[in-house]
Amino acid sequence: MYPSRMQFVAGKIVRNEGHGEIFYRLEAIVPEPVEFVPGQFAMVSGWPGNDPLLPRPLAIFRSGAAPKGKGTVVFVYKVVGRGTALLSGMHPGEPLSLTLPLGRGFDLGKDGRRYWLVGGGVGFSTVFPAAAALARRRTGYEMFLGSRTREQLPPKEWTPGGEARGRIHLCTEDGTAGYFGRVTDVVRERMAALSDAEASRLTILACGPRDMLKEIALAAASLGAEMQAALENHMACGFGVCWGCVVALREGEKTGYRRVCKEGPVFDAGEVVW
Amino acid sequence: MKPDLSVSLGTLRLKNPVMSASGTFGYGLEFAPFYDISRLGAIVVKGLSIAPTPGNPPGRIVETSSGMLNAIGLQNIGAERFVADVAPRLSEAGATFAANIYGRTVEEYEAVAARLSELSSLAAIEVNASCPNVKEGGMAFGATPGGIALLTARVRKATGKPLWVKLSPNVADIASVAAAAEGAGADAVSLINTLVGMAVDHRTRRPKLSNVTGGLSGPAIKPVALRMVWEVCRRVNIPVIGIGGIQTAADALEFLLVGASAVQVGTANFRNPRACVEILEGIEAFLREERLPGIASFRGKLRL
Repeated sequence: MYPSRMQFVAGKIVRNEGHGEIFYRLEAIVPEPVEFVPGQFAMVSGWPGNDPLLPRPLAIFRSGAAPKGKGTVVFVYKVVGRGTALLSGMHPGEPLSLTLPLGRGFDLGKDGRRYWLVGGGVGFSTVFPAAAALARRRTGYEMFLGSRTREQLPPKEWTPGGEARGRIHLCTEDGTAGYFGRVTDVVRERMAALSDAEASRLTILACGPRDMLKEIALAAASLGAEMQAALENHMACGFGVCWGCVVALREGEKTGYRRVCKEGPVFDAGEVVW
Repeated sequence: MKPDLSVSLGTLRLKNPVMSASGTFGYGLEFAPFYDISRLGAIVVKGLSIAPTPGNPPGRIVETSSGMLNAIGLQNIGAERFVADVAPRLSEAGATFAANIYGRTVEEYEAVAARLSELSSLAAIEVNASCPNVKEGGMAFGATPGGIALLTARVRKATGKPLWVKLSPNVADIASVAAAAEGAGADAVSLINTLVGMAVDHRTRRPKLSNVTGGLSGPAIKPVALRMVWEVCRRVNIPVIGIGGIQTAADALEFLLVGASAVQVGTANFRNPRACVEILEGIEAFLREERLPGIASFRGKLRL
């Protein structure tokens, strides 16, 4: 079944290692294989005690099969607070609680589209699975990855490979790798160079800081390009019952609050009230 | 022998004392992927108003030490959609369910109570007289014995369903407020709702919630909740539903021990979607282990 039905499972850490300056890669064994749509996520916890209380939302980076009918899931995360700091200190063999797969992922189903994937900061962990899915069905894409500095770009070995691998544009704000500047500016410049016909065929899949998403979304809207933005937010439950993670969306004349965990995390960027 | 888990809340008999707390369980169906929701004593659905409510702007939740603050602002689908779309599916799932209600005015409370009471499948109405996050979201009524007596009496006339009044802990003397609800015709009181709290960011100099203040829930509030439930149990003769930071079967048993007839599990559902059934199973295991025939042989047996 694609994607798998949401479930709450007990997992076990297989690997949990730091990569580069700020990223961690966590691999866990789960009771059965998990099929996910790129952009979907999991709520993850495992540290003992009640503090921090809530699990952390992490994009599913990869999933696969494991011996004896079990599955594996991989997350790539950045330590941003106490929860991720505690998670980064956990060891192989330790238990995890996971609710997954959650939310609505990217819509990659349209034919004849030209795909650009944009990942700002740790946002690459959400767009890489989309790149891998496009590569699997031999749909071309270009990928734009931005970070402050060279050491904060994703490690090369994580980049989705394969024959259909798309062109990758690296951008650093300090110029230590790739383009010298913000990924936002690079994407906007490239977009501005497209013809109207090209822009109308363009689908941007993006995840990253809100300012990045907003600026690219406004540019995409003015050129008539489609954009799907994967949003982040603080979440208590991750499966639609706490109503804590809402974002304002345009709905006709009105706006309404929609849950990042349920109606998202991927939204039509043109509908988001930035 | 299987222990008898059933409990009475006045005339209403529940198959067990474990309910979900309003606002933490959606409309109930969201939990069907995790377990059979008909196993719960009752589901208390998210607070319903007569018309749909958009809720507060984002910046709605903040995690705190062993707890969380929320200021959702009672976003909900409204009574009509609940009646048309949700209630039939809850019945189909075999669930026992109660509706938490709120209004901006007494008239709105009456209207939503009357509308929902048309549902034969509805087990009870729980009046939210204690939401701290909405102006006139009940706190105005819940803050004093006089206010609660007025609201309870009016809703009492609007519904023939069992009537529970959910109390705010943000009061000087919760036992007096509970007694006022009892005097005005409540069939049970449920407590506690969240404690008003606040979180700010010293770097941005801003509050972390758009509403500035919010309601504190989770294990952090359990001792306060337990004390209040104990106080209210000693004061009133109607059943008391204990709520506040219940995460485990042991937590739930503590509330029963001080006199609660049933419990509601709230924030724990966020962290563990199976929390309610795990607590239920834990209560049953405890009764077996202690060779107790049922809840009644344990409830209110605090040794002082």
